[in-house]
Amino acid sequence: MPLYVLEGVSKFFQRGPTTVRALDGVELEIEPGEFVALEGPSGSGKTTLLQLLGALDRPSSGRVLFEGSDLAAMSDGALAELRSRSFGFVFQQFNLIPTLTAVENIEAKLAPVAGRDPGLRTRALALLDEVGLLARADHLPAHLSGGEQQRVAIARALSVEPRVVLADEPTGNLDTQTGADVVDLLAGLAAEHGATVIVATHDAELAGRAPRRLGMRDGRLATPLSV
Amino acid sequence: MFYVRYLRNELLRRRTRTLVTLLGLGVGVALVIVLASLSSGLDNAQKKTLNPLGDIGTDLTVTLQPQQDQGGGFAFGGGGGASRDLIAANQSVLTDLSKLGKPGQHFSHDFFLPGSQLTFQQTAASTIAKLANVAQVTTGLTLLAEHQQGIVPKIVAKLKTGGQTFRILRNIPRPTAAQFAQMQACFAKLRAQNGGGARNGGGRSGGSGAGGGFFGGGGPGRGAFAKCLPASLRRLRTQFTTPRQTLQQVLNPPQTNITTTAYTIGGVDQTHPTMGVVTNAQVTKGRFLSPAGGREALISTAYAAKEKLKVGSALHLNGTTFKVVGLVEPPLGGQSADVYLPLRRLQTLASEQGLANVILVRAAKSSSVGAVEREIGRALPQASVASSKQVAAKISGSLVDVSKLSHDLGLLLSIVAAAAAFLLAALLAVSSVGKRVRELGTLKALGWTQRMVVRQVAGESVVQGVLGGLFGIVLGVAIAVVVDAFGPSLTASAATGGGLSLPGLAAETTRTATNTVSLNAPIGGTATAIGFGLALLGGLIAGAAGALRAARLRPADALRQVE
Repeated sequence: MPLYVLEGVSKFFQRGPTTVRALDGVELEIEPGEFVALEGPSGSGKTTLLQLLGALDRPSSGRVLFEGSDLAAMSDGALAELRSRSFGFVFQQFNLIPTLTAVENIEAKLAPVAGRDPGLRTRALALLDEVGLLARADHLPAHLSGGEQQRVAIARALSVEPRVVLADEPTGNLDTQTGADVVDLLAGLAAEHGATVIVATHDAELAGRAPRRLGMRDGRLATPLSV
Repeated sequence: MFYVRYLRNELLRRRTRTLVTLLGLGVGVALVIVLASLSSGLDNAQKKTLNPLGDIGTDLTVTLQPQQDQGGGFAFGGGGGASRDLIAANQSVLTDLSKLGKPGQHFSHDFFLPGSQLTFQQTAASTIAKLANVAQVTTGLTLLAEHQQGIVPKIVAKLKTGGQTFRILRNIPRPTAAQFAQMQACFAKLRAQNGGGARNGGGRSGGSGAGGGFFGGGGPGRGAFAKCLPASLRRLRTQFTTPRQTLQQVLNPPQTNITTTAYTIGGVDQTHPTMGVVTNAQVTKGRFLSPAGGREALISTAYAAKEKLKVGSALHLNGTTFKVVGLVEPPLGGQSADVYLPLRRLQTLASEQGLANVILVRAAKSSSVGAVEREIGRALPQASVASSKQVAAKISGSLVDVSKLSHDLGLLLSIVAAAAAFLLAALLAVSSVGKRVRELGTLKALGWTQRMVVRQVAGESVVQGVLGGLFGIVLGVAIAVVVDAFGPSLTASAATGGGLSLPGLAAETTRTATNTVSLNAPIGGTATAIGFGLALLGGLIAGAAGALRAARLRPADALRQVE
């Protein structure tokens, strides 16, 4: 069974008097364990599609089925539960909590799942070790480089053993080498943890590393660029 | 626990925001506590000062005050006089210095003046005692005292005149030829008129020619001779005695070194220690006057401080020595005095035997005070009846002003201060959430439920509110302690001795009694509870405002922020 099935998914935004059609009748299926790159210019609808896939938003029309369940039909609480256990996010701006240290940022992802589990910190430290930042565990994001911050974000995303890792322009704020390292890390760990990876990017080189590339234009999926 | 650490980090690592919130809430709460404490302190001061009759166990005071157009004739047994008499009574003792002793002698004397309150027979009190609903009646006598000392001035000079006898004798100078000729003509004319020329022929001879012509032959007589003499030749011979008399002359102004100090003195019925112009409740040091009414005195704390007197000191009043047995803080309002003596002792000293100038009345119950007041008005139409409220209304000064200010603005200021503090906290909380949209959206993307996010934001605000409130309590208590230690003095003043100003009555016959109250700010449980309650409320308001803002966030905002 496909992990995702998208049926005629559209998303409109009202910006003043103008209705912006961010997604327009997207049809898509993604299998478990896939590494998918959503490729397209800025404003093509990549981020909007990623938000729908990550249960951060609901479509204006159409259905987003995750493991057979329509996300639009789920309550806010159920969606939050789904995000906490099944999805991991990596953002272009890293989106680390500025007042939390590297290890605490990972705990922030684990907390809703683990509750008062005393092993929370041990697990977070182990993940930091996996991304090579154990020594920087107690540093605030402001004291970490861009690459280090993104590695913390990857560790945070993978901390709950998610079914899917959704990355939005993960190398957008990194230099080429660091970006490549981050992508390698993300791909390697995702494979190791058995997670599906969906990356939105306008970086052709990054997209080229994905086995499946989906081109996007004006809110629609273009011809698959590679399989 | 992670959530607690997160909360702590938010507060500690966003120091500026936290400090501003704490400061805002703290100042607001402190202001409320200080105002509440000051208000409490003022209430205490007012209860003590602005309830002049309650403090002396009295509901009503009855006095007899002269009207300016009053011709005379008072009720109450006619012991007093009209305003003219009152003026005379005040002035006579002030100006008649001749009774002090011989000029040049040193003297020390206390004059007791009625001030502007008429005296009346004490028996008037029995009339009131018989009225319905009157529980107890007593009398008092409050006088203005002028203490004078110095050297008796030479006021009157005695001059004895008269009794002397004066004799005047003057010789006549020799007449000139012209005068002689004139005289001759005069004599001739007289002789012709009288026909006596032959008689003159045999006149005296000898001497000068002129002389024989004047006196020979008898002539026209002494009167006619005198008429013919020129004025300068008449011989003056007279004698007179001046009348004996003694003249007294008042020297104006008398030259003297007399110094005068004024004070008020009250006569207390010492057999009624709970009711009178001063009662045992006002004794702050020492004891009340003994029932026997010996040579004992009470003095007000203010007068004691001014005159450096204390319990045990001696007061010398016109040859009688009184021992100070207690210090008192008398209530303001017309009958307060600097010195209190047993009523009979004062009556004797002031030559006011059997007289009083105030009747103190206690009603059987508080609800019947109005009825008693009306009854007294009917029984004694000339009486001036004052209730505690009316007496209090005559009290002025900073205490009264602050009291009014406190009543008028205190509550409003408290509300404004608290509202401003809460508004600030709420705005900061909302602003904080506004600045943390991406952060809170990220938390939602990480799987935090809305309840968790709201709990976190509200928790931060509540903790800030509580900490701010606690800071405010500490700040408020500290300010109150400082006010207690260095608090300003408030005064309340009221005229004593009747306080009525009459034309012709010397200004010094009206005295103003002033009570000084050091403003304190007692920190009571109520003020602290209010502070803590406000702290919680402030935190909850700020928390609710922040949570409301956070609850409206959609998780997609996290990603949209970076687009």
